Amino acid sequence: MKTKINYLLLLTVIVLINVSLLSAQQKPEPWRTDQLMATSALAAKIESNQTADLLILSIGPDAIIKGSVAIGPTQEAANLAKLKNYLKQVPKDKKVVLYCGCCPFDKCPNIRPAFSTLNKMGFKNAELLNIPKNIKVDWIDKGYPTKD
Amino acid sequence: MRSLFSILSIVLSVHTGNAQHHTLAIGQTAPVISLPSLKDGIITLSSLKGKLVLVDFWASWCAPCVKEQPVLKSLYEKFGDQVDAGKLEILGVSLDRSRENWLKAINKYQITWLQASDLKYWNSPVAKAYGISELPYNVIVNGEGKVVAINLHGKELEAFIDNYFRSKK
Repeated sequence: MKTKINYLLLLTVIVLINVSLLSAQQKPEPWRTDQLMATSALAAKIESNQTADLLILSIGPDAIIKGSVAIGPTQEAANLAKLKNYLKQVPKDKKVVLYCGCCPFDKCPNIRPAFSTLNKMGFKNAELLNIPKNIKVDWIDKGYPTKD
Repeated sequence: MRSLFSILSIVLSVHTGNAQHHTLAIGQTAPVISLPSLKDGIITLSSLKGKLVLVDFWASWCAPCVKEQPVLKSLYEKFGDQVDAGKLEILGVSLDRSRENWLKAINKYQITWLQASDLKYWNSPVAKAYGISELPYNVIVNGEGKVVAINLHGKELEAFIDNYFRSKK
């Protein structure tokens, strides 16, 4: 019985090591974990009108969030150019919050090129809105402020 | 050995445990769909009564949805006789925001089945009515307007339609 338990323990450890190795092998994201902004935090700021120090940019199909600027899906070269152009007039220390919300992060084609662009342009306070599923589930359905 | 399988299944379920929560149930009357068609006018689901309808919720910005369009195309061709006989239809409901991108995808994948969209992206009331929390998503609605299947893809989808028409013979 004891050997059986040990055997199972060993197998579990092997499985877990493999899982962590697999995730470690994935390409690093252009953002750090501390650059992910919670949707509740942004919603609270918008609701209390404390967005003067923020620039909220939609880099997805639509700018659903109240007060955000529509750049367009940055998987398209034209929209990425639009983003670069827009950011030329923005001070590098401005807090810029990017969001897409079409799909979960692993399937979103827009967030990586946009965030990398901000990094390359030297924006120090870039953040990415943490939307695990999409803008419907994680924003609209929660009753957070939208444009309409 | 059984416990080994349970450990493995727990580990695996952590990784695949993002299943969609349906507010829609099989047997329920399908919520109303009444949306602008690709050309002029409005397409309604109720106008397709009598047919088995695959309602495909998709968008040109959704990579896995776009990838599925050629699969739907071969399905539409495979069941061409049923389509011609007025027994089967596919209704593509797009959550696109840009009409231009929607059209581009339709042309690229030579989609010949019905297409409708209010171009309201995730704000579309239809996304709410069907409780969609993730794309791709589809439902199959029978001739009486009842939901008979939810979110079937690939071989499962094909087998379902196949069985449906076999049982009708």
